[in-house]
Amino acid sequence: MKVVVCRLEDFPEGERKIVKAGPRSIGVFNVEGEFFAIRNRCPHQGGPLCIGRLSPWAVASGPGKVTMDGPPRLVACPWHGWEYDLETGQSFMGPGETRVKAYEVSVARGDTLEDVRQAEADVRVPAAARAAGREPGPYVAETFPVYVEEDYVVVEV
Amino acid sequence: MTVATATEAIDCDLHVAPAGVDTLLPYLDEYWRSYIDDATIRMGQAAYPMGAATTGAAPAGNHEELTAVLDETRPRRAILSCLALDGVHRNPHYGAAMATAINTWMRDEFLERDERLRASMVVSTLDIPAAVAEVERWDGDGRFAQVLLPVRNDIPYGNRYYHPLHAAAHERGLPIALHAWGRGGNAPTTTGVTTSYLEDYASNAHIAQTQMMSFVAEGVFSELPELKIVFLECGFSWLPPQLWRFDKDWKGVWREVPWVKERPSEYIRRHMRFTTEPAQLPQDPEQIAQVVAMVGPELLLYASDHPHEHGASSERLLASLGDEDAEAILRGNAAAFYGGSIA
Repeated sequence: MKVVVCRLEDFPEGERKIVKAGPRSIGVFNVEGEFFAIRNRCPHQGGPLCIGRLSPWAVASGPGKVTMDGPPRLVACPWHGWEYDLETGQSFMGPGETRVKAYEVSVARGDTLEDVRQAEADVRVPAAARAAGREPGPYVAETFPVYVEEDYVVVEV
Repeated sequence: MTVATATEAIDCDLHVAPAGVDTLLPYLDEYWRSYIDDATIRMGQAAYPMGAATTGAAPAGNHEELTAVLDETRPRRAILSCLALDGVHRNPHYGAAMATAINTWMRDEFLERDERLRASMVVSTLDIPAAVAEVERWDGDGRFAQVLLPVRNDIPYGNRYYHPLHAAAHERGLPIALHAWGRGGNAPTTTGVTTSYLEDYASNAHIAQTQMMSFVAEGVFSELPELKIVFLECGFSWLPPQLWRFDKDWKGVWREVPWVKERPSEYIRRHMRFTTEPAQLPQDPEQIAQVVAMVGPELLLYASDHPHEHGASSERLLASLGDEDAEAILRGNAAAFYGGSIA
């Protein structure tokens, strides 16, 4: 199942969005231009993982000798601070810890996406008009198909 | 069930002490003899109130007294511990001179006279370069099995202040042994001085916990990956909840100590051991076995702690275990931990 998050241009670097996919809540992150999606539920005790802070790895060559390494791709659960890699959902706290479900994120043209085509159709014949029992008439003002031509951020659930 | 006997055990904590300061005077130069006289320094019995009527004897003060103890306990090996350097003095030069005197006295009085014996090398905590020099002084002797430090001290042992001493012990494969009690000038709690001996006595466990965490959190093992630590007379049944909590909190705040790359309990299980006497145990033998299973029998080393009498906890401990675990605690764990120095 594809879940359309938003238009690409509405999702700048450093931002995150929480989307619903049926009963699931999923956090989608734009980290330095790369998209990641991860289940918004910490496997520890069910905390809202995706509102936690993002950090790079802290790599120590010895006591007090620490460098930060890589993009900020570790999300820390706001409840207990447990961290998970956004790409794989993996934690690094020793064996036996479960990982978080991570999802594929892609960017797709709107005209390839059923949700977006439906949204486009809804623009032409709004659901409310149908519900009111009205049929489209012969007069149609000029419109411009903006969204269909654009790229969307899509999560594969 | 084992009918446990400590005979032929490796006893990791057997106390000796000079009967009085006079015993050590031949090992001190003229200045320190004069200093001791001027300051009226006396040897106390740290574990008992002065002059207390107790069934616990004084530690063996000479070879003859120790032989009587060994004839009774019949260990395969015994590692002597002398706590005479503990106390409230603040003079680092005195501490260094006394450390050399005590070690030399132990060699002459005991190690030279009974090949079953090994000793814990005492060093001053107030002058780390002097402590390193003391370790170096005994290079080649081979009969000092560990470096003895008081579990209660001035700065937690993971602090970089101690690094040169830990490095010297590491280089020689000598464990660092932390014994209960110690520098009594320091409060036994982080919140101040207690009013009773009862509180002071019971505090040895949480002081040991503080030291245990300090070694891990300050990254000692990331720089000295083979360093061994043994806690003498500090108990061990407190380990399961403390290790659980240490691991749990590390998971949340590991960024503060990124040199701690594994769960803290993994470092502790790899690097640290705990002696059996005294043990704070349940009454029910089945529950004792459960405690040992939670702690891990591989972490425990037998100690008589003679002459201190804490009760029959070691006997109850060994009696509640299977033969394999009892054997490991009496001999196997110590042989693996100390290696060649007690072979």
